[in-house]
This record gives sequence, structure tokens and C-alpha cells, in this order.
Amino acid sequence: MSDHPYVPEIATDREGNEYEVQGWQGDFFGGKLGFWLFMLTEIMMFGAMFMVLTYYFTLHHDDFINASSSLNRTLGGFNTVVLLISALTMGLGLLKMRYGDVKGAKLMIWATILLAIVFLGVKAVEWTAEYNHGVFLGLPALQGGLPESKPFGEIIFFGMYFTMTGLHGFHIIVGIGLMLWLLKRINANQVNREHYILYFNIVLYWDLVHLIWVFVFPYYYMIGAGLSTGGH
Amino acid sequence: MANTKTYEEERLGYYKVLGGLLLLTVVTFIQPTMFLTDATFGVQMLIGTVKAWMIVMYYMHMKGEKLITATVIFALFLVSFFFVIVMIDVNNFQYGDVSHITSEITSAGGSSASVH
Amino acid sequence: MSKSYLDAGETHCAIGHPKTVFWQWMLTVDHKRIGIMYAAVMFVFFFIAVFTALAMRIELFAPGSQFLDGDTFNQAFTLHGVLMIFLFIIPGIPAIFGNIVMPLMIGAKDVSFPRLNWFTFWLYIFGCLVALTSLFNFNITEGEILFNFADTGWTFYAPYSLNTGTNVVTTLVAAFILGMASILTGLNFLVTIHRLRAPGMGFFQMPLFVWGIYATAWIQLLATPVVGITLILAVMEKYFGIGIFDPSKGGDPVLFQHLFWIYSHPAVYLMILPAFGIMSEIMPVFSRREIFGYRTIALSSASIAGIGYLVWGHHLFTSGMSDVAKTIFSFLTFFVAIPTGIKFYDWIATMYKGKIILDSPMLWALGTIITFAIGGLTGVTIAMVGSDIHLQDTYYSVAHFHYAILGGVVFLLFAGLHYWFPLVTGKLYNEPKAKVAFYLNFVGINLLWFPMFIAGYLGMPRRYFDYLPEFEIYHQISGIGAVVIISGLLLMFQNFLSSWKSGEASPLNPWNATTLEWYTPSSPPPLENHTKVPYVDFGPYEYHYGQPKVKFDLQTMKRID
Repeated sequence: MSDHPYVPEIATDREGNEYEVQGWQGDFFGGKLGFWLFMLTEIMMFGAMFMVLTYYFTLHHDDFINASSSLNRTLGGFNTVVLLISALTMGLGLLKMRYGDVKGAKLMIWATILLAIVFLGVKAVEWTAEYNHGVFLGLPALQGGLPESKPFGEIIFFGMYFTMTGLHGFHIIVGIGLMLWLLKRINANQVNREHYILYFNIVLYWDLVHLIWVFVFPYYYMIGAGLSTGGH
Repeated sequence: MANTKTYEEERLGYYKVLGGLLLLTVVTFIQPTMFLTDATFGVQMLIGTVKAWMIVMYYMHMKGEKLITATVIFALFLVSFFFVIVMIDVNNFQYGDVSHITSEITSAGGSSASVH
Repeated sequence: MSKSYLDAGETHCAIGHPKTVFWQWMLTVDHKRIGIMYAAVMFVFFFIAVFTALAMRIELFAPGSQFLDGDTFNQAFTLHGVLMIFLFIIPGIPAIFGNIVMPLMIGAKDVSFPRLNWFTFWLYIFGCLVALTSLFNFNITEGEILFNFADTGWTFYAPYSLNTGTNVVTTLVAAFILGMASILTGLNFLVTIHRLRAPGMGFFQMPLFVWGIYATAWIQLLATPVVGITLILAVMEKYFGIGIFDPSKGGDPVLFQHLFWIYSHPAVYLMILPAFGIMSEIMPVFSRREIFGYRTIALSSASIAGIGYLVWGHHLFTSGMSDVAKTIFSFLTFFVAIPTGIKFYDWIATMYKGKIILDSPMLWALGTIITFAIGGLTGVTIAMVGSDIHLQDTYYSVAHFHYAILGGVVFLLFAGLHYWFPLVTGKLYNEPKAKVAFYLNFVGINLLWFPMFIAGYLGMPRRYFDYLPEFEIYHQISGIGAVVIISGLLLMFQNFLSSWKSGEASPLNPWNATTLEWYTPSSPPPLENHTKVPYVDFGPYEYHYGQPKVKFDLQTMKRID
């Protein structure tokens, strides 16, 4: 790429009026639009998974309620609040950056990374507990045709539960990586008060990750909460 | 994001939204045991939608973005169309009585025969 | 003599400033160079798939097994399908001409995210490599390599794809990666078209090819993630047994078909829409007349893309879908014929009273009007539930698909290759040879696929390596057609390659076209396209007595008419 500073070109019409040409360089709205379009693909992806889930919720209604009631709502709820606060810290960081408080912005990014790690830790505790109860991908309880097999609907519920929360967790890990990269770019002054499109998009990404959890949490943890059988 | 708000006003906005989201999270928790217990699934999804709307509008700054709003609505329309059609299909599934996937077979006989 | 984008050193690179020509190509972010590299890779895979198909045709020349057994035949048609669909025709026109021509047409210097474009190309290459590794089983300890490609057909239907011992998972991963590349291409083009149009160019001053690319990009962006997640779920099912497509755990294999076709049906519109865009470029230029019904063509592209999302269920008529859903889908499917019909009438009306010039791009376009009409109208017959029950999975659907995709998309891709060949290479191809190649292809496609309509109607099922003796005559005519069409293809590509090497230099605007890509200061264009970005206050196809109305001073890009 050329290293000299970018100067927008001017186009002239027949009357001699001048129009600034939008180049691909330094296009804030273009960057934002591009990232929103990327997020639409995430919406379609998770939308399709929720469709699969709803399909089987219709077919195996009671099994789904039973399986849902056995999930640990305390840990799930704790994680919900953690993500909620992390979305705030991420947003405040961008706000600080836009008003020139680079140090505050970096502090906020570190806080978000910390909250993300807490989220993953709680998730690990949850999965371990479920593994110890014999509920995990590949364990006999989730295989068909064995004496210890769970009913059809529960097998699918847990299969989708591990797939979707796993995919969500993968997004969190990617998010942590993106934030570390962002810190590096801020230190190199590549992201600053004037040029913060990268920061803006990573905030959007983190909000998207939160947004997915807003639906994942009730769909898995809460639909069976009315049943008093809670816990294993 | 050209606006005339000050830093303090914008920060206050973030905290207000946070408060709203926390409140809704509390509602999420008490709802299944407190009210509308027959319609837990619908209520939960409704709360989720309200929360999502708040996040998208305020945290993701979609307010005032006409083009981006239009693209998001288009995507959501497609997803909901997929939902509607597939749900119509599964609700009118005419082979339910003879299908193995809907009947509660714990039939050790049938399935163990296929294992061995 | 000014420099063109093909000259050494005339490129921007993603990383650093490499000295050697080789690395300048590998790291280039120039949209024109990337388009050429896509074309080179894709046509290699295209010919591999063509010769796989020829092998199957030879096997089918007589009943019984000659040199392919059933299993190999299954792998052969899967290979043909996967290469043609995922590696060639889905990325095809957008990646080649969307990259090379679209930014030139809207007066942009490059796409919106040039580095992402470079990354996308290499993601595509990575996907191709994964697809190739799934061809073989490497047994290192015994030092043998077995041919072990997926044998499921390109649709990977569960539950068979989850049980077969072949390398289905690797193929699924390859399709997922290629899907990612497709999404990123679409994203890049959408932002480019929204942001980088030259000043004054509104959506309804864009050339129609750009409209085609725009509609296509929306399908790439919003439909591809669905198949991506479907393939991931299938991989999860295969490795962890999560049960969602497995009937022995309460899963429903029909759901796989739903999810697969939610993407793959829009994908056929993803293939055809940019091809229609090429047709809309060629028709006015070779009729020397403004296109008839510009807005209806533009909006019908958008509505084909929109309706295309809503009709996937017509692939499931025999799969055990509910009768209500069948009726809805059959009804919705008929609607696709309306905007397509509008386009066809517009193109024919464009030629009326025009000064038609029968150069080879126009020949290909006219041939497509015939072959795609056959492919499209037979599609309407199998959109009806009743007749589809009879014709599903027969040679009738095979013939319909190939008439629509080969006779529609690939023919128009070839039309575009001839049309833009002087722009891309700066050379003229050998016109008589190109015409002979067209006639060979046109005769070949009809010989090859028309008998299949009859054989399919009489009950010849697809994907069989053997058949009853009464179908022999149809298979033999098809076999002859296959040889004719392949000789046409080889002649065409020989013509391209030899002309690029030693053809006559092309003038700046050999076809008297009106769209912006022809108004570059040199042929082929220089690195950053037009010398200056023009102000667009004219329509894309303005002709005056058979000559382009708008003229530019190519150095200042000011209108001088």
C-alpha cells in the first residue's frame, strides 16, 4: 500500500461544480457498514440454529422442558450479569477514547477482558459439573439405544446446548483476541481519537456476542425454570 | 454519531441502559415462578427481544442509521420467514403417528437389535 | 506508452513491496489481478470437473459396468458436483468479473476493502486445497494412497452422509471455508457499491451488471451463513453424535434438507443473477441501442434475489414434507418466473429495431436466450407438486438443471469472457475460431441434454451407473453431445490462450460500448483505473444513431460530446 497521506480526489461536472470523491481509504461509514453486514451473517447463523432448536422444541416439547430445568440457573444468571457489565465497560471505553482519554479507554478494555475471562471460567465450571453428571458430548447418556440413554428430546437439547454455548464461547475467545490486538494498535497510536473505526467495530462485535447470549440464556436455562425439579 | 451531547450526558445514557437491562434480567429470573407461568417461553423471548432492542439501539448506536437499519430489518425478516415456514411444516407433519422420531420409543428391543 | 496493470511492479501489495513478479502477484490487492487469478484457478477446476463428467458419460455409453464400478461412479458424480458448484459456479462470475469489471464500471479505484479481497482470494485457495485433500485417504504406515472422495452427491444429505466411510467431513469443511470466502466477497462488493460509486451515479445510473452483482452479494451475504452452520452441525453430528440429523436419537433428516436448501436454492439465483447482468451489458452494446426497460431489469434482479429466498422447499416435495408446506412452496416458486420473464422480454425488445452485430459475445447471448428458456420453462413444470413427484430425481431434473446452469450461467460467463477479453488482456481474440467454438458448444449442449428430458420422463433415474437397455439410445446421443461440447470448450480456451500470447492489440473501446470500464486511458487499464474519477450525469447505455452518445477526454475524464 502507498505510504503517502491520502488526499481525496475531486470530480468536476460540466458546469464546473466540484464533488469530493469517496475513496476506499479513510471511509468511516464504509467500515461501519461492512462490519454491520458481517454481523448480519452472524444473525443468520445463530438464527438458523435457533430455528433448529425451535423445530425440536415443537417435536419434543416435554423433554426440552425437563432438560432445561436441570441446568444451573445461578451460574447462568451470574454469567448473564457479567456479560451485561462487560458490554458497559466496552462502550464506556470507546466513549473515553472519543473524548481523548486514552488511558481510561485502555483500562476499560482490560476490564472487559477480565470479565470475559470470568465468563469463560464460570462456563468451564458449569461444563465440568455437567460432565460429572454424565451429561456431555459423546457420553453414553447422549447416545441413542443404550440403557442409560436419555429420552430423544433431551439428547437433542443437550447436543444443541453444548454446540451453541460452545460456539458462543468461541466467539468470546475471539473477542478477547481482538481486544488484545486493539490494545496493541492503541499503543502504536494506530487507533486514536480521530481514527477509531477498529475500536468502534470491536465494540459492535462485543455487543453482538452479548446479544446472542440474551437469547441463548432464556432459551436454554429459563424455559424449564417453572419446574421444581431444578438441579441434578 | 455527530451529536451535541457532552461526555457526561453520554456516559449517563450508558448507565441508564445498563439499569434497564439489569432490571429486565431480574424480571427474567422471577417470571417463571411469579407470573404468567403458563406462557414462560413466550414471555422469556419477549423480554429477550426488548433487551436486544435496547442493546442494538443504544449500545450499538443504530438510532438514526437508515441504511443499516434497513439491512438489519431485511435480515430479520428472512430469518422470521424461515421460522414461519419451517414451523408450518413441522406443525402439519402428517406422518407423526408412524414416525419414530416423535414417538417416545425407549423400546430397548427395537433399538438394541440395530446395535447388535 | 503508459503502463498497464499487468506490467511488472504496477500493483499495490498487501504486505510490503516485493521485488519479484511472482510475489507481486501473490500479494497483490489490485482487483483486476485478483480477478485474473480467480479465473485461472477456477477454469482448472472447471476442466477437472468436465473430464470427470466425460468419464461418467463414457461409462454410461452402454448398459452395464465397463470401467467404473458403482462406488467409483458415486464418487465421480460427487466430485463433479462439488467442484462445479462450490469451486466454480458459485464463486464464478462474481469473483472473476465482479472483481475485474465492477469497480471499473462504477468509476472506483478498487473495492472498499482491498486487503480483505486479497485475504478472501487466499481463503478460497485454502478451501480448494481442503477439498482436494478430501479426495484421498493417506495411509502413511502402509504407504498407500486411496481414492476416497465423498460419495454422497454434492448435497450431502443426512443421514447417509453421516454414516458413509468416505471423507465427507473434510469435504464439508472445505464447503464451509469456500462459503466464508463467498460471504466476504459479497460483503466487500456490497460496501463498494454503496460507498464508491463515482459522484453523480445513483443506483439507477449503474450499469445492469453492477445491479446483478449487488443482488448476488445480498444472497452471498445472507444465505451462505445458513449452509455454513448446517455443515458445522453435520460435522458435530458426525464426531460427537449430537443427534440433530440422526433419526435414532429423535433427529429429523428432513431438517437437514430444509437448512441445506435454504442456502442452496438461493445459490442458483446467486449463480444466474450476475450472468443476467452480463446479458444486460451485451444486449444494448451489440444492438447499438439503449436497453429497453432499464428499471424493470434492475428491479427484477432485486426481486429474483428476494423471491429466491422463499422457495427452497420445492426440493423437498418427495422428502416427507407436510402437504401444506408443499402447496405454499409450489405457489411461491411460480413467482420466480415472472421477473425472469420480464428480463427476457426486455432483452428481446432491446434488439427490436436495433443494429444487431453478430460478434461472438452476442452469439453466446442469443444462444443463451434459447437454452435458458428451455431450462427455465422446464423448471416451471417441475415446480408443480404433481408432476414433480413423477420427475424428481430423474434425468428430467438433471437436464433442467444443466440447461439452466450450463446453458444460462456458463454460456453467459463465456459471453462475458469474450466481451471483456480485450479489456482484461489488451488483445483481440480470433473471431472465426470463437464462432466455431460457439456453434460446437451450442450443438453439443442440445445433443447432450435434450435426450435426457425424454429419458427422464420415461423414468431414467439420475446418479445410476447402469440402466435398462431401452434407455441406451438416449445415453448414446448424450455421449456424442459430450464429445462435441468438450471439443468446443477446448477450442475456445485454445483461442483465448493463443490470442493473449500473440493476438492483435485491441483498440481502447473495440465494441463501441458506453459503460465506464471502456474509458480507461490505456488498454489494458492502468493500476488505479481511470486517470480521474468522472462525474456521472448520464445513463449507462446512451446511444445516438448507433454511436455512444457520451464521449470523454480520457486524460481529464471530462465529457467532450
